[in-house]
Amino acid sequence: MENARSQTPVLTAHEAGLIGCTSCGKVHRTGTDRCARCGATLHAPDGKSLQKVWAWLVAGLVVYVPANVYPMLRTTTLGQTTDNTIVGGALDLARHGDYGVALVVFIASIVIPIGKFAAIAYLALAVSRKVRMGPHARHITFVIVEFIGRWSMIDVFVVAILASLVTLDFAATIRPGIAAISFALSVAFTMISALSFDPRLIWDTKYR
Amino acid sequence: MSDRGPSDLEIETRTRSAWRNLSWVWLVPLAALAVTLGVAWKTWADRGRPIEIVFENASGVVADETTVRYRDVVIGSVERVGFVADLSSIVVTVRVDRTIADSLPENARFWVVRPEVSTSGVTGLTTVLSGVYIEAAFEPSPGAQAERFVGLKQAPLVAPGTAGTTITLRTDDAAQLTAGAPIFHKGIEVGRIEQPELLFTRDGVVFDAFIEEPYNELLNSATRFWLTSGFSLSLGTGGLDLSVGSLANLVRGGLSFDTVFSGGVPVTEGQVFELYESEDAARSSAFSNPFENAVELVVEFKDSVSGLSAGSPVNLRGVRIGSVSAINAIVREGDNGREVRLRATLSIDPSRLGLGDDDVEETTVIDFLSEAVREGLRARLGFQSLFSQALVVELVRVPEAEPAALVLLPDLPPQIPSVQSELPNLGATAEGLLARIDNLPVEEVLDQAIATMAAIETFAADEGLREAPDALVSLLDDARGLVGSEDIQALPGEINAAVSDLRTIISTMEQAGAVDQVLSAFKSVDDAANSVTAFAGDVSGAADEVTELIKRLQALTDKANELELNEFLTSARELVESADRLIDSDATRDLPASLTAALDEARGALADLREGGAVENINATLASAGDAAEAVEEAAGSLPEIANRIDLLVNETRSVVASYGTNSNFNRETLNSLREIQNAAEALSKLARALERNPNSILFGR
Repeated sequence: MENARSQTPVLTAHEAGLIGCTSCGKVHRTGTDRCARCGATLHAPDGKSLQKVWAWLVAGLVVYVPANVYPMLRTTTLGQTTDNTIVGGALDLARHGDYGVALVVFIASIVIPIGKFAAIAYLALAVSRKVRMGPHARHITFVIVEFIGRWSMIDVFVVAILASLVTLDFAATIRPGIAAISFALSVAFTMISALSFDPRLIWDTKYR
Repeated sequence: MSDRGPSDLEIETRTRSAWRNLSWVWLVPLAALAVTLGVAWKTWADRGRPIEIVFENASGVVADETTVRYRDVVIGSVERVGFVADLSSIVVTVRVDRTIADSLPENARFWVVRPEVSTSGVTGLTTVLSGVYIEAAFEPSPGAQAERFVGLKQAPLVAPGTAGTTITLRTDDAAQLTAGAPIFHKGIEVGRIEQPELLFTRDGVVFDAFIEEPYNELLNSATRFWLTSGFSLSLGTGGLDLSVGSLANLVRGGLSFDTVFSGGVPVTEGQVFELYESEDAARSSAFSNPFENAVELVVEFKDSVSGLSAGSPVNLRGVRIGSVSAINAIVREGDNGREVRLRATLSIDPSRLGLGDDDVEETTVIDFLSEAVREGLRARLGFQSLFSQALVVELVRVPEAEPAALVLLPDLPPQIPSVQSELPNLGATAEGLLARIDNLPVEEVLDQAIATMAAIETFAADEGLREAPDALVSLLDDARGLVGSEDIQALPGEINAAVSDLRTIISTMEQAGAVDQVLSAFKSVDDAANSVTAFAGDVSGAADEVTELIKRLQALTDKANELELNEFLTSARELVESADRLIDSDATRDLPASLTAALDEARGALADLREGGAVENINATLASAGDAAEAVEEAAGSLPEIANRIDLLVNETRSVVASYGTNSNFNRETLNSLREIQNAAEALSKLARALERNPNSILFGR
């Protein structure tokens, strides 16, 4: 493991003429089509996976725009309908003095998704050598992105729960807005984007 | 390359074109982008078109929350609430659905719906919870696309979209009208009125009224509207008429309408109707409007037509057949040069003349009128009613009128001749009557009457008055007793006897010429004296003595001349007086003996006189008569004494009575009696005085 910490270049399986199964990790000789153990298709790490990452990332970003512009929650209280966007809701909370909750909402809905976009984009750029980044840093970033990804849906869950629970007819009703779907899609797209990322590229030196 | 690495592998890097190298995954962001743009486009497309509504007061309107509704469906929402440049009013910017905004005409009405409680009911209750909203009402007109509107101050009273007809009503006084007041037709509410507005260009108030379908078909140009305030009181020839409508009517006021004559034409939207004060006015107004194929007539009056106006009735034997449509003055060349005549144009309804219903030729009417005029039909002015100065034109038959004919002029309606009207100057008569009534001294008369009544009242209430009859009766009884006493009854006899004696003496004396004889005796003495004087004149020396003697003789003569006789007569009269006085006197019963004696003496003397008759006896007689007279005088002199005594007695009695108590019945009666007695005493002294002044009265009567 001392090697891993050092800046000395590592010999990758690809460089060694081998190819690893992305499903079960068994190493085969280059040229093998299918994994002998799990039967998954073997493919060498190449730019195609990066394309996927970028494509999903862009899709996530595109969908993230309406998620912020359109109302997330449509609250009807005693005949009065109020539309709340994500940012607007956070600001409303802050205005009412719930700074803690506002901060949680803000972080979960704004900081984390944007951070994720940034992280994935940075990772992809780093892999394609557009920016300099050590393979270990790339690895850590990748782990964090993967870990955070599943928590990004927190907002959508909240909306879903509220919309199903608060249906008190005239007194109070909460409905999800377009932004809820957009946001869910955005999170989904970024997760797919993160999944599409071939972690082998982190260590691959071919594109160096 | 190296010994320990794997063998060099032939790795072929497939070189493809940039496009062919693209992964299908890129379709995903493209699709996402497409969807997002689609949503954005939809949002944009649905965003609506902004319109601006200017309100004076936009209380409750909140940006982003207040909605705009059309027929209770949300068609947009308020985007911004701001002010116009000079801050005088409020501009509400509203995003309205594009499809609706495209059809918004310029006359679209917007108003803020607020909760409202009025006599017409409660409206806008839902806005209490949900906040106000802006209601729109318009007739969709595709492609109008108006963008700027002026909002109404309050909701229009007729629910937008209700089918019906809007008309305009005009009235002079809208005091009994409120916005939203109902309009009735035969008691059924068929519409309502809107806010009355003052009309500045003309006198009066105008307001819109809305008649709902299907009742709007009842409207035509012959329809008349009148006020039904719910309460009407009229006093007419038919007696007192009071009618009270429903309570709601009383509170809100209302209108009724009906078609009052036939032949109306359908109305157009916004037609102006006059609003009448009462149903009667509305119904009679039918005549103030031009009739269908009315026949025009003119009539010229020499009288003043003050009180006649356009619209005044034209009556034929009391039945209204038309109205005056115009009055103007014209200058005519008359008999006395130019003179001003007043020409009234009459509009006659042929159907009212009984000449068929509608299609009457004008010539038929004129022929009819010509005939009637030949037979004496004339126009004249008359009073509309007894107490009114308003005039009517009466068409009456005046058989004795000068012959005349209907004058047919080329450029004028036929002229019907007029006769001098017999208008009593009722006003002046009434004024004179009032003035006279005014001049009556009503107050003084009343004052006097009141004073008289009060006096009578106090007089009647006086107990003394009630007792007076009793006192009078008792007094009369007393007097009767007194008169009935034998002494009194005897007294006049005695006095009469004395008086007749006196008369006899006097007449005897007159007959005997006693006085003349005495006088002639004196005269001869005088003559003797004169001759003695003459003789003495001759005899000188003895003159003084003679003169003295003559003087004595003269004095004697004078004395004789003067009167033992007169004295006697006076004394006799006084005697009679005294006797007379005594007749009524209380004290007569106690007539002093001296009087009787004196009478006796007088009688004696008189007897002597009767017996005498000789001149020699005269002196003695006279002397004795003088004595008698003196005696009588003495006796008479005691009369006042009697009176005084009576007075004294009265006073004493009074004091005695007074000691019994001041107010007792007895007391008063006694006092009254005493007063009467006192009065009698006074009468006695009065009689005495009268006799003194005029003594003859007892002898010769008054």
